Amino acid sequence: MSLFSKYLKGWQFRANRPTLEPGSEIDVFVAETNGTSGRAYIGDTELIVNGAGPETVEKQVRVRVTDFDETTATGQGDLLEVVGESSYSG
Amino acid sequence: MSENGTTSPGDDPSDQFIGGETEDSPRVEFYGGRGMSAFPIGFFIVWAIVQTALWRIGDTGGLIVGILIGLIVGMFFVRGNWQSYANTIFEGMTQPVAVTAIVAWIWAGMFAQLLQDGGFVGGLVWLADTAGIGAALFPAITFVLAAVFTTGIGTGYGATVAFVGLFFPAGVLLGANPVLLFGAILSGAIFGDNLAPVSDTTIVSAVTQDADIGGVVASRFKYVIIAAAIAFVGYVIAGGAMSGLEIGAEAQAIFLESSEAIGLVHVISMLAVIGAAIAGRHIVEAISWGIVLAVVFNLAFGLTTLGDIVMFNAPSDAPLSEPLAGLPILTVVEEADAVGVTGSLMNGVAGFLELSILVLLIIGAAQIMIRGGAFESLLEWSIENLATNVRNAELTMVGSAALINAIITINTAAEVAIGPYISKIGERFNLNGYRRANILDGQTAAMGYIFPWSGGVLAGYSAMQRLPREYDWFSESMLVTPIDVVPFVFQGWLLVAVFVVAALTGFGREYIIDRQSEEVARV
Repeated sequence: MSLFSKYLKGWQFRANRPTLEPGSEIDVFVAETNGTSGRAYIGDTELIVNGAGPETVEKQVRVRVTDFDETTATGQGDLLEVVGESSYSG
Repeated sequence: MSENGTTSPGDDPSDQFIGGETEDSPRVEFYGGRGMSAFPIGFFIVWAIVQTALWRIGDTGGLIVGILIGLIVGMFFVRGNWQSYANTIFEGMTQPVAVTAIVAWIWAGMFAQLLQDGGFVGGLVWLADTAGIGAALFPAITFVLAAVFTTGIGTGYGATVAFVGLFFPAGVLLGANPVLLFGAILSGAIFGDNLAPVSDTTIVSAVTQDADIGGVVASRFKYVIIAAAIAFVGYVIAGGAMSGLEIGAEAQAIFLESSEAIGLVHVISMLAVIGAAIAGRHIVEAISWGIVLAVVFNLAFGLTTLGDIVMFNAPSDAPLSEPLAGLPILTVVEEADAVGVTGSLMNGVAGFLELSILVLLIIGAAQIMIRGGAFESLLEWSIENLATNVRNAELTMVGSAALINAIITINTAAEVAIGPYISKIGERFNLNGYRRANILDGQTAAMGYIFPWSGGVLAGYSAMQRLPREYDWFSESMLVTPIDVVPFVFQGWLLVAVFVVAALTGFGREYIIDRQSEEVARV
C-alpha cells in the first residue's frame, strides 16, 4: 500500500456488524471459550470458533468461516491455528 | 493446535464462556479498598483547583506542597508495611517518561530564551505589522505555526515553552486576546503531539497497540485534520470577537519602533531544530543544534553579547574575580544579593526547576494509584459494565483514556499506563491496531494540554511567568490564569469530540479482518 493511499484509508463509516464470507480465512482474537469452542466478536458480529479451547482465549487465531447468517450477524468457523498474541500480554 | 469441529453449529455455548485472566493483585494495599490509592492524586487535584482556580495563585511551589501533603496523608491509609508505599513513589519518579518531559522543558527553555533575547519576538512583531496581520488573525496564525513546529520537533511541551516565550508576547502586544492566544498555542502543541512521527505519545500509542508508526500517523490524519480545520475557524471567529488588553499606546509604539526584521534570522534556528528532528535526530540533539545556531546568530549579528548569554557575577573577595574581571562573561559585584550566574541559558532553565520537582512527585503519586489498584478497578469496572457492544467499547476506550490522561499530569505516563487496557477492550471486539492507537493517542494528546495541572499548561504557564521580567510593558495582570484557558483549547476538545462521533457512527473504524497493522518499528 502506497503512503498516499494509507492516508486515504478509513475515510468511511464501518458497520457495527461486519459481514463474513463463508469459505474465507480470517485472523481474529478469541474473546472467551466454553472449553471446546470459542467465541470471537468482530464488532458486534459473533463468530463461534470450533476447536478454540482455553489456550486460545485472548490470542489471535486463524479461522476458516464455514457459515454466516447476515440477519443475526452470527457465524461459525473452524480453528486452523494460533497466529498471534495479545499486545497487552507482554 | 488446530482441532476442528468439536461443537455442532446448533449449540449455544454462551453461558459457559469465560474470558482470560491477566491482572496481578495490587502490590500496595489500602484501608478503605483499592480506590484509596487514588487519594494522593485526588488530593493534589483538589488542591490545584482551589489554589489556581478559586484563589488564582499560579505558584508552582504551592502545588509541590499540595502533592507532598497528599503523599504523606495517603501513607496513613496503607495497610501493612509502609516501605512498599515509599518504594512505589521512587518507582514512579524514576520512570523515563517523567525525565523525558523535564529534558524537553529545559532544552526548549534555553532555546526559547536565546531566541527571545536575540530579538525574535521583535522580528515577529515587525513581520506581523508589515504583513498587516492584525490582532484578530494572530491566534489562528499562531495555532497553525505551533502545529507545524510541534509536528516537526515532536515535543508539544517544548513547543509550548518556545511559543509562549516568543509568539505570546508578540500577540499580546499587537492586541490579541491573551487567553485565546495561549489556547491557540496549546492547540498547536496538541496537533503536533498527536500527529508527529517522532512524538513520544505517537510512539507509545503505536508500540502498545502493536502497530507501525508510519501507518498510525497516516491513519490518524483524518481525525486530526477534521478537528484542526474546525479549530482554525474557531480561532479566526473568536479572534475577531474577543478583545485584547489595553497596552499603553506609548509602550506599544516604543516596542514597535525597536522591532527589527533582523530578529527573524532565528527562523533559521527554528528550522534547524525541525530539520534535525525530521532527520531522525534525538530531540536533545535537535534542540542543541538550534541552541548552537541561536548563539552564533546572536553573537554574529550583535543581537546579544556573550555576557548576555552567560554571565558570572562574582564577589570582589573571590580569589580570581578581580584578576579576570576583563573577561566578557565575568562581572565583579559588590552586593551579596547580586552574586550568581545569569544570562539567557540560566534564565531559560530556571523557570522549570520547580516544575520538574512537581512533575516527579505527581508521577510518583500516579504510580501509587496504579500499584494500589484504583486504576485497575476503575478500568475493570468500565470493561465489564460499559463495553457491552462495539460502539460502547469504543466510547469506553475514549472515556477511560481521556479520564486517566486528565488525572495524570504527564500524558505519556498516562498513555503507558492505560495502553494495555485499550488493547484489551479493542482486541475483544477485533478493532485493529491503528484504530486502537488512534483512540488512545487522540485523548492522550488532547488531555495533556487542557487542565491547569496538565503538563503542557504547567509548562506554558511557567514560561509565561518570566515575561514580566523580560518586557517593561508586560505586567503581572497580563498573565493567563491556567483555569481560564480550559474552554479555549479548541483542538483538544474537538479532537475528543471527533472520536466520540467516530465511535458513535463508525467513522474511520477498522477491524482486524479489514487490515492488520504492520510490524512495529520498535524504537
